[in-house]
Amino acid sequence: MNWQASCLLACWLPIAAHAAAIDPGKDPVPSVMWAFYHTQMLGDAPFVFDDRVKLLAPPFAEDARQVPLEIDARAFKGEVVKILAWAELNPLPKIVDFQPVSGVLPWLSIRIRIEQATPLRAAVLTRDGLWHVGSTLIDAAGGGCTAPSVVRTQPGWEEHIGEVLGGRYPRGEFSRLRLQVAHPMDNGMVSGIPEFFINHAELRDGNDQVLARLELFPAVSENPNLTFDIEGAGQTRLLLRDNSGNEFDAAIP
Amino acid sequence: MRWMLLLFIGMSLPALADLEYSLKPRLIAQDTWLLEGSTDNFAKGNGGNIVNTAFIVTERGVVVIDTGPSKRYGEAMRQAIAATTDKPVIEVLLTHHHPDHVLGNQAFTDVPIAALAGTTQLLRQQGDAMAENMYRLVGDWMRGTEVILPTRTLEPGVHSFGNHDLRVLSLGGHTGADLAILDQKTGVLFAGDLVFYQRALTTPNSPGLAVWLADIATLEGLPWTLIVPGHGPLATDARPFEQMRDYLGWLDQLMRDGAANGSDMAEMIRSPIPERFATINLSRYELIRSVSHLFPRYERAQMTRVDSTPDN
Ligand SMILES: [Zn+2]
Repeated sequence: MNWQASCLLACWLPIAAHAAAIDPGKDPVPSVMWAFYHTQMLGDAPFVFDDRVKLLAPPFAEDARQVPLEIDARAFKGEVVKILAWAELNPLPKIVDFQPVSGVLPWLSIRIRIEQATPLRAAVLTRDGLWHVGSTLIDAAGGGCTAPSVVRTQPGWEEHIGEVLGGRYPRGEFSRLRLQVAHPMDNGMVSGIPEFFINHAELRDGNDQVLARLELFPAVSENPNLTFDIEGAGQTRLLLRDNSGNEFDAAIP
Repeated sequence: MRWMLLLFIGMSLPALADLEYSLKPRLIAQDTWLLEGSTDNFAKGNGGNIVNTAFIVTERGVVVIDTGPSKRYGEAMRQAIAATTDKPVIEVLLTHHHPDHVLGNQAFTDVPIAALAGTTQLLRQQGDAMAENMYRLVGDWMRGTEVILPTRTLEPGVHSFGNHDLRVLSLGGHTGADLAILDQKTGVLFAGDLVFYQRALTTPNSPGLAVWLADIATLEGLPWTLIVPGHGPLATDARPFEQMRDYLGWLDQLMRDGAANGSDMAEMIRSPIPERFATINLSRYELIRSVSHLFPRYERAQMTRVDSTPDN
């Protein structure tokens, strides 16, 4: 969707009315799309623009296919129900729906595709039902969503799907967990290759208790990188599923 | 946002007559002329003239070292050469395939354009995309610019041009195919982009910082008297090498440490830049770029296979 189409679409939609009780404050980034996404992503629910949700990205995308994005909602530790992130001007805007269930900090680092310069948003739903929206802008020469796959140029790439590289890095009260999954994350926009991407991930602790659930979307880069901060000791498992029903499993000691 | 930018460009396009490089060759050694660019980034205000190019007026004719960022630059360079000497241009030597060094080639198609085989290959693969990016960055200065591939493959060794014996080295720390040229008559070392001085180095094609550090040692060991960096001011002492070693070593250690403690790229790009690099232009900008180019290699080195697939 180009910006014109997006704008038209946004202008067609009724302005959200029933969240009027809470003053959302001023949008910190210039956006023609906020009203549209408020409806589409948050169902017109009450929200505030909130700089306590830190959305950290480089000011420009050096590689629009692999843009690092850090979502930091630690200011709301213990209160977070879920975190939704999206890139407003991407043709496929959704990035991730992250639900830190327990023993995981409300913090996530991930890499994404950017099709053009765009506002980025991370909306954090707290237990009181309010969405806290963090925002940033990124500049890009563009084309990250429509660029040919790098994975698919590598001979025998199919053999490596689902391989996971990982590491645990102690950081005092928690441990940093890093994971990189071999997968093309095809978004359906490149040379007739249909959507083929990891759409679900789950972190579990050594007792099989769920630490976090993630829905992933094709704005996530190929060979997805995920970084978490985990409280408590012991092994962590990562369970993954793609939209073709393939399941992968990894255990990080 | 891009559409706003485009609108803005459309409204504020400067008249073509304003786009003049006004190149002023400076005599830096016997027979040797430098066209020094700024240490800034590509911008619509500078037409991409951020690069050092040079020419040597030998008895037999003029040897050109790099042709600049655009057709317009190449033409201006050709005029500047003609205003300096009656001798004809006899050869162009390209230090590497980056757009700011080769996109002036169109002004030199009547003479052999020589480069390392690897440079030609990289330019064939990446030239159009790089030229397109240059159009985006510097705009109308680029009008009419097209990628012209080298016509002659340069082998390392000593090449004689009239009374100048040029020792050509095939190195690779910056792009994988980097030419350095030592004029054995004058002692001038044309380091290409293996040496950035007072301007942060760029890494989009670097095979690795260790390779680059080894190249710096090789260059420093040559019998040079004057260093011409690809970007930044000249030096008659070893300070450009010292700065390169310091900066490359810092960048390498930063990413090594970051990967070892599990930092991700968004954190890495916010790393503090040591005070001693305060004189180096664009260090934050290039750190952001270098983390994107190089950090994936460092982080993979700190991870192991953890999946439970059967062949693990
Ligand atoms: Zn270069």
